[in-house]
Amino acid sequence: MALPVGPLGAMGVAVVRKLSDESLLAGLGSGDPDAAADFLRRFQRRVFGLTLSILRDRAAAEEAAQESFVRAWRHASAYDPRRGTVAAWLLTIARNVSINMLPTRRFDPIDPELIVTLEARRPLEDRTEAQVVDSELLREPLARLPGDQRRALVLAAFYGFTAREISELDGVPLGTVKTRIRSAMLKLRAQLRVSDDR
Amino acid sequence: MTAEMGCEQVRDLAAELALGIAEGEERDAALRHLSGCAGCRRLVSELSSVGDELLQLAPAQEPPAGFESRVLTAFAEPPRRSRRQPLAHRWRWIATAAAAVVLAATLGAGSVLLATAGDRRLAAGYQAVLSQGRGAYFLAAPLQGTRGRVGTVFGYQGQPSWVMVTLQPSIQEEGRFRVQVVTRDGRYLPLGDAVLGGAKGTWGGQLPVDLSALHELRFVGSDGQPTLTATFDTANPWD
Repeated sequence: MALPVGPLGAMGVAVVRKLSDESLLAGLGSGDPDAAADFLRRFQRRVFGLTLSILRDRAAAEEAAQESFVRAWRHASAYDPRRGTVAAWLLTIARNVSINMLPTRRFDPIDPELIVTLEARRPLEDRTEAQVVDSELLREPLARLPGDQRRALVLAAFYGFTAREISELDGVPLGTVKTRIRSAMLKLRAQLRVSDDR
Repeated sequence: MTAEMGCEQVRDLAAELALGIAEGEERDAALRHLSGCAGCRRLVSELSSVGDELLQLAPAQEPPAGFESRVLTAFAEPPRRSRRQPLAHRWRWIATAAAAVVLAATLGAGSVLLATAGDRRLAAGYQAVLSQGRGAYFLAAPLQGTRGRVGTVFGYQGQPSWVMVTLQPSIQEEGRFRVQVVTRDGRYLPLGDAVLGGAKGTWGGQLPVDLSALHELRFVGSDGQPTLTATFDTANPWD
């Protein structure tokens, strides 16, 4: 591989595996091959899972996931930890890349219920139980939302549908869709605040 | 321009802003409000965290065999354009872009003819222009159409940042386009509509983000595909 050996590489894979997400991203951005490989191993299942959820085509999802990692590599220096975690930043890139690859808005979205009714994930080998719990904070609150609010929110958050597009897709007045999205988001925000206070 | 929005209207739109699905003039007006309202910015930021958390709910999936090696190979590929150029070369390029923007903005012309009388003198004028808008630098990128270059996109980093497009005469890709900003962190932000071609040799718009965050400017046709694209490989040439 053409990437130069950097300081993280000199530390050895065993050490790199324990580095924070931020450190691995910094290593990726600086061209460290070991950090790049470890960053990829740490996030590839989540990134591919998200692109596959949105695109529902394994070849397209792989292309989107690859493009997401390449963008993360090219723009690693643009990551701002004040605006969210590395995982959130990377998944947002993956979401946006995937949405842009959706053929047209004629696309028939997956039943949004599928995303929230799946069983809670088992811990992955490179994630601690605590990390899994952190990422599951919203699964139950999302499942408890009224179905019409949940559908509108999932279409917007995962597939990038605008309120107008959801209105046309579901034959519901625009104002109603906007209210559903707003209500759902405010309820989930309240849930996150509760979690922060614990 | 849309009427200015108050806090109540922006708060109604905050969830859509946070999810990146707010549209058009409504979105532009809300962003103008956010630039001066810390309370509304805080709400949008908190709701953005909700959007971030939601994406983590997608079930993890094992990628196809060989995925890791393919991505690592992609990492090793050289960038499309050298990120670093010799200083003198870079300076001339930036100064050229700066003067071109000033001329294009002044004349509103589709083509720009530029003659420099020395980098030093141009630099002084360049700095004077930038100081008018509290700006730091200009960028320029070729605008590529389906058959090659069709014009130039100039970007101005300031408060606000903006872009201006100048087109070559008689381009193939005429019509109405949705203009889209692709940011360096992968967001796709709408920048309104543009009618290009024919007598319309220029187009300009205010960026919803700082110029340093601009990765690509796209003009999307009625088929939903980008017809014209300008890629800004360098966030800030002085970095």
